[in-house]
Amino acid sequence: MKHLAAAYITGAGVFLPGLPVGNDRIEDHLGRIGGKGSLFGKKALRWNGVESRHYAMAPDGTVSHTNARMCALAVEQALERAGLGVGELGMLAAATTQGDYFVPGHAAAVHADLGGPPLEIASFQSVCGSSLMAAKAAWNAVRTGDHRVAAACAGEFSSRWFRPEFYEGTALVDEKHRLRPEADFLRFTLSDGAGAIVVEDKPRPGALRIDFIDIVSLANRFDPCMWAGAPIETRADMTTSWAHIGPRAAHEAGAIALLQDFELLKRVIRAWIGVYLQKVDEGRVVPAEIDHCLVHYSAKSLRAEIVSLLQDTAGMVPEEKWFSVLREKGNVGSASIWLMLEALMQSGRVKSGEKVFCVVPESGRALVGFMMLEAV
Amino acid sequence: MSDAVADVLRKLTVVFTAFEGRLEQTPLIRKLTRGRFELADYQAFLIQLRQQVKDGALWMSRAASNIDESHLELRSSLMRHAVTEHRDFRLLEADYVATGGAVETIRAGEKNVGSEALSAWMFHEASKPNPFGLLGAMWIIEGLGSIKAQEWGRKVKETLVLADDAVRFLLYHGENDAQHIEEFKTMLAMVLPDERTARRIVRTAEVTARLYALQIEEIVA
Repeated sequence: MKHLAAAYITGAGVFLPGLPVGNDRIEDHLGRIGGKGSLFGKKALRWNGVESRHYAMAPDGTVSHTNARMCALAVEQALERAGLGVGELGMLAAATTQGDYFVPGHAAAVHADLGGPPLEIASFQSVCGSSLMAAKAAWNAVRTGDHRVAAACAGEFSSRWFRPEFYEGTALVDEKHRLRPEADFLRFTLSDGAGAIVVEDKPRPGALRIDFIDIVSLANRFDPCMWAGAPIETRADMTTSWAHIGPRAAHEAGAIALLQDFELLKRVIRAWIGVYLQKVDEGRVVPAEIDHCLVHYSAKSLRAEIVSLLQDTAGMVPEEKWFSVLREKGNVGSASIWLMLEALMQSGRVKSGEKVFCVVPESGRALVGFMMLEAV
Repeated sequence: MSDAVADVLRKLTVVFTAFEGRLEQTPLIRKLTRGRFELADYQAFLIQLRQQVKDGALWMSRAASNIDESHLELRSSLMRHAVTEHRDFRLLEADYVATGGAVETIRAGEKNVGSEALSAWMFHEASKPNPFGLLGAMWIIEGLGSIKAQEWGRKVKETLVLADDAVRFLLYHGENDAQHIEEFKTMLAMVLPDERTARRIVRTAEVTARLYALQIEEIVA
């Protein structure tokens, strides 16, 4: 077997569309179901802790950037920060929850927008965890020696899916124009933007060596927890999914919406903790060695009993080592981990030899990803 | 808290979360989470729970009787535990009757294959001198009480549109077991650090979890 070389993140870039949007103006952008403001929104905002976010869609419905365009802009910035141009790129891995098209894959759309030379591409569609799937593809492309420069990007344009016409006249809205919480929570949680990293076979000052990327799916255990494409009650039966019943019937049944099951989420969180503690137990993750902990989940939204469980099991990374931009930049799904890493790298607070630990839980169908980086 | 206790608690948490994942995939719990649970499922569930709850206080007492003089505090804890829980199976009978079932039916109910295996395993372990491994079994069973019981109870009540008095065991257990977990940490500290005991506790948790899941897998209404 060929020896695998080390590979380094040499640049990170982000793109957030437009101006920050505060909590009081969310529905100006997304619209109001049946013309009435959401009653559930405030509760959702208390849970998710987000205070500001960006949308690629203006209140009048005009779109400033596609998902692919935002990703291309993030890749350009990441390349620029690595001191490279798009001409030097050999491989592009792209991640998203919902691309601009169903078909073909997101990486083709990003490559089309980015331009540059013919590239090897790879598309990853999942939820937040797709970011690390793409990162792993880019990392492997470099460490196997197939490419010297690879990029991984992730982007979301969720707000398009949050417009009233996605819900009105469907089973998700009752006669008083109230949207089911499974749908409304995500309207007040997710927003738009993109992030990217560049991976190279040689380090540069400020580069981060990738030590491992581990991704664990528990879809064998759980029904869908965050999904689109099937009605709430029958989602586990894939023959009820949108393509089987047809687009019109699917819309009426409330299948054409992003949805979240909160009850199941509680069980999925415990399962994530189990996977994490197993990594700690195996010595793969040593909490005491972590200098910067980037979790796509706010420490504040972890319930007290989970924190005390992590403390009891010697698994907790002290809260002062957690770094997050969730509150000010929003929850941008798959792009979030790159928004955090970019902000950390730009902050200048990472010193040589320090370890950066990234955790990306994805409620989708219960997946969790881990990435360990070390500053050169 | 000592490193030895934290290490065992971590391994036990990993065992418990894997166990929870296995339960999630059993036909009975799939029916419950997918809203297809029927009264007959609940009644079959209560019958098996009764077997296991009735045995619980008995194996705990037997375990206490096998604990030597140098661990009197642990012996006291187990005895208190057994006293607290040894009548709980009556609550299951009352729940069963409140669902419209006959008390003779639940009392005459037979252990399924999983319940037989679980029961035999518990009494076998409890019969050994200083059976500290059973702390691992308690972690699994108490964990079910504090984490799963209320969740299941609420879902059963909602799906079958039952009154509170038909779901008392599941709902009541959830309210009481949070403090049991705190007591559990204290009990661990009574037998740790000790490498062999630590391994035995985790192993006993693994076997108990597997046999408990087998009991649930075997419930077919």
